[in-house]
Amino acid sequence: MSQAVPTSPPKLRPNESFLGQALRRFRRHKLAQAGLVVLILLALMAIFAPALTPYTFDGQDPALLGQPTPPSLKHPMGTDQLGRDNATRILYGARVSLLVGLSSALVATLLGTLIGALSGFYGGWIDTALMRFTDMVLSIPVLPLVIALSGFLRPSLGLLVLIIGGLGWMSTARLVRSQFLSLRSREYVEASRALGGSNARIMFRHILPNALGPIVVSTTLAVGGAILLESALSFFGLGVQPPTPTWGNLLNGSSDWLETAPWLAAFPGLFILITVLSVNFLGDGLRDALDPRL
Amino acid sequence: MNFPLYLARRILSSIPLLLGVSILLYGVLHLAPGGPLDVYADNPSVSPEALKNLERELGLDQPVPVQYLRWLGALLRGEWGYSIRSGRPVGLDISERIGPTLILGGSAFTLALLVALPLGILSALRRYSALDYSFTFLSFLGISMPIFWLALMLQALFAVRLHLLPSAGLETIGDGSFLDRLRHLILPACILAVANIASWGRFVRSSMLDVLGLDYIRTARAKGLSERVVVYRHALRNALVPVITIIALDFAGILSGAVVTETIFAWPGMGRLFIEAMNGRDYPVLMALLMIGSLALIATNVLTDLVYSLVDPRIRYE
Amino acid sequence: MGLAMRLKPFAAPLLGLFILLGGMVSAQDRGGTLTVALGYDLDTLDPYASGFLTDVQSTFLEPLVYPDENAKFQPALAVEVPTLANKGIRITDNGKKMIVTYKLRPGVKWADGEPVTSADVKFTWEAIKDPKYLGPEKDGTEEIERIETPDPLTAVIYYKQIFSGFKSALFSYGILPKHVLEGKDLNKDPFWDKPFGAGPFRVTEFKRGQYVIVERNPNYWRKDAAGNQLPYIDRIIFKIIPNTNTTVTQLKSGEVNFAYNIPFTLAPSIDNVPGLKVINAKTLAFRHLTFNFKNEFLKDLNVRKAFAYGVDRDSINKALGGYLKPLNTFVVSSFDFASNAVPIYKYDPAKAKAALKEAGFNPGPDGIMVKDGKRLSLKFMTQAGRAEYELAQQVIIAQMKAVGVELIPDNKSGAALSDARRKGGYDVWYSGWITPADPIDSYVSFYTTKGFNNGSGYSNATVDSFLEKASQTLDPSLVTLYMARVQNQVLSDLATLPLFEAPQIIAVTEKLQNFKPNPTNQTNFRNTSDWWLKK
Repeated sequence: MSQAVPTSPPKLRPNESFLGQALRRFRRHKLAQAGLVVLILLALMAIFAPALTPYTFDGQDPALLGQPTPPSLKHPMGTDQLGRDNATRILYGARVSLLVGLSSALVATLLGTLIGALSGFYGGWIDTALMRFTDMVLSIPVLPLVIALSGFLRPSLGLLVLIIGGLGWMSTARLVRSQFLSLRSREYVEASRALGGSNARIMFRHILPNALGPIVVSTTLAVGGAILLESALSFFGLGVQPPTPTWGNLLNGSSDWLETAPWLAAFPGLFILITVLSVNFLGDGLRDALDPRL
Repeated sequence: MNFPLYLARRILSSIPLLLGVSILLYGVLHLAPGGPLDVYADNPSVSPEALKNLERELGLDQPVPVQYLRWLGALLRGEWGYSIRSGRPVGLDISERIGPTLILGGSAFTLALLVALPLGILSALRRYSALDYSFTFLSFLGISMPIFWLALMLQALFAVRLHLLPSAGLETIGDGSFLDRLRHLILPACILAVANIASWGRFVRSSMLDVLGLDYIRTARAKGLSERVVVYRHALRNALVPVITIIALDFAGILSGAVVTETIFAWPGMGRLFIEAMNGRDYPVLMALLMIGSLALIATNVLTDLVYSLVDPRIRYE
Repeated sequence: MGLAMRLKPFAAPLLGLFILLGGMVSAQDRGGTLTVALGYDLDTLDPYASGFLTDVQSTFLEPLVYPDENAKFQPALAVEVPTLANKGIRITDNGKKMIVTYKLRPGVKWADGEPVTSADVKFTWEAIKDPKYLGPEKDGTEEIERIETPDPLTAVIYYKQIFSGFKSALFSYGILPKHVLEGKDLNKDPFWDKPFGAGPFRVTEFKRGQYVIVERNPNYWRKDAAGNQLPYIDRIIFKIIPNTNTTVTQLKSGEVNFAYNIPFTLAPSIDNVPGLKVINAKTLAFRHLTFNFKNEFLKDLNVRKAFAYGVDRDSINKALGGYLKPLNTFVVSSFDFASNAVPIYKYDPAKAKAALKEAGFNPGPDGIMVKDGKRLSLKFMTQAGRAEYELAQQVIIAQMKAVGVELIPDNKSGAALSDARRKGGYDVWYSGWITPADPIDSYVSFYTTKGFNNGSGYSNATVDSFLEKASQTLDPSLVTLYMARVQNQVLSDLATLPLFEAPQIIAVTEKLQNFKPNPTNQTNFRNTSDWWLKK
């Protein structure tokens, strides 16, 4: 057991041209490609935010305190009532919002995959126990519980991600479990088992790659859901705390100015919309590409 | 096996589920810092002795497992306890809020159904038409929109700018006629319905497309049956079977979505009560509301299975 | 000069108009409905159990005495406010105890027509004091030894000690009707669904989560100068609207015509609504920073001084719309004993940095001060979801960053906030208090070692002893003397950094006459019987 597992490429892919086919199907999906491009642009924007703006996200211009200012050459999206450059806050907000979206979706996927894999692979009482637990969590109204937890714990960014992810893994778990159930008796799995492959190896080397398609799709869609959830929490003042900007709390902070300075609400709302829209287009395209049965 | 037995078994099997949910929720809620009496401490004239006294009276000085068992015991006897905020029986507090939430949720549900079904079917029948593309795009827009943003925008537009609709509330106080209530209902119900119109419509469309591609539909067409008969008698019925599951399960989701909508539109339902109870750490009310939410989820689940089995004769009860 | 000149031509016709109007309004119009936006989801109409201020309750319960628009006490059910001078207060037992005598107004009736007597006063005390009664607002009950009622119009209250805050506690919330409530379980009695008292209105409907309707009490005792029965208004509807954006929307659409505690950030958006008057009313509320003495950095006075010099009140005020008034002590200017002789800390970033240097800090690589390898980084709490506080917090964060102090926001709401506040779950805390018209007991709870609102761990023997003395004297000149010592000490120690006096923004329909905002925590609805709506 102390021997390192050789990092051989997975040889037992059922269909070598699967990726090629998927790519071909994805290319047909124009909206998904557009979504991908937009998301890449947004991610680049977020990563290189400091290089893209002369301002800092919490830098206040004392001369502009007290009133939001409309978009101008100097401030293309205007400033907020503390004299901070709105475009800069949106750029930096992209960092947090995309991070929360991505990492919550990843947490949910990891949890769901783990639980689903264990359940589907081992079956028996492990399956029963895990699935009952999944049923239980599925029977809890998620949005109210997330709101209650955020209200009680006033979570940090990390905890927020854990809460959102920790209550969003159930459908992935079910999905992965059903994939495992149908795959575990396939010949190549039996073959690996006969060759003395460890359970973990069989699970993650041989079965999991075949279930990747649907997992990728559900993760992608979960990113959008998590971004929207963060913005809903911000609406109740329970999301990430200012001055750290997120699109959600920028939107919430703008609600007092809806009449007097509508651009404050328009930009973060637009960015959330565009991002989630792109994520959903991408998810749709990925579904067509990776999981043609659905 | 027969239907009543199946039903009984499904209901029985939800009992341990509910019990598990209750332990989970109770634990999560009570392990969070801060207690229900802290709201009073905002007021400098509330004495610490009074708080101690209150704590003892409400049993909040007991360990959490003891509190849980007491709560469960009382629940089984049909007592939901007393709200810490209002001092009234929890059942009474909630019963006043259930009506408005069901009206709002029910209207949103019906509205979403009435819009999503025909749109989904039409878009499937006219695949790749302008209608299909615009519906697809709009529905993507619908599921990608932060709901409270849309709500605030529409509120500002219809109530303040155009003076067409009341901005919030259940009714004009002192009016309360059907028409008046309807006018109050329009904005919140539409907002609540948006996301569901989008997702159900997409689902109907794809389900319809799946069925239309099946052999028996081609056969039916080949036999020379009119398009109307093919679509509405053969395809639609079968396409709706999977749709039912999604739609029924979403009903409970609509109820939790009401948390946001009810707050914006000052709608006196359970969602608002939930937010108030959360801010006041009113555990008895919070627990009751979350349990009702769970019960609704589980019940819709059972119901869905039943309806499913009625619609689709291929499914048998084991 | 030029402006005055140019205004002149208008002055004469305007004056005429005023006289004309004055002549027209001398007879107050009767009737009408006022629709008030209530900014919270009212829990119960029992004022002693509610977690909120007693806005609605003030319209149907009549107190013995109450603080008016100048925070001065006025008699209501009592004929006069008891003082030492009018022998309403007598000191006994060598200055250790006191007896307060209230003479009740004859002929006053409950809304159901029964007479109000001294037995009701005694009942109110007994009912609230009863340990079985769970309402937490029992302030002022324990200090009373016994109440005697020699005749139906005289209540003699024997206090165990000198209790200077007696007017703000208990009897200023309202007297309860004994003939209805005696022997009932006050915690759960359905009386609270449609309660009444001896106030100008009585509750006719309480739809939880929606509204409370109060209607004219035909038996109300007060009459106007012309002998007309008060109140003038028929009905007040309190509409429950917890979302302030929705409140503003409803003000604009005319669905409500009275709203108070409007956030400063929303005030500009109602400035020019036709038919609406925006009032900027002085209150007893103040904003402050409080420091946690249990924090290893903050227990050093120099670090607290860095805040005192590093925070620029003017910028914060500008950011919040300019409604606030800078404050140098924790006693607001409405009180006579507000001291001018406290240490003044003027905004001076250089002094702030110098103080930190004095404390042994040096600038670190990221600009944040460092001492013994530890960065000067502190948890900064305020009420989550309250836009005004969160904005002020962000300005303070930026200002303190400029002098090398990092503040990490750690905001809380509801019960979690009060928990952190009382147990000191913060390093620095930005908040507001609104005190009663007798604020000494509030100060005791904020600043004394054992004060139950003191979570900061601040403890000073001088403050403790002089606040105790101040709370146990009825002599205003002594209160001024003692409080000067307390203010000086608290400000020298920088237990708290007072920042602003805060007004409340109230929007009312232009038709509403005779409305006088109330600055205390006793709400704006104390003098509703005088209000009237121009037809």
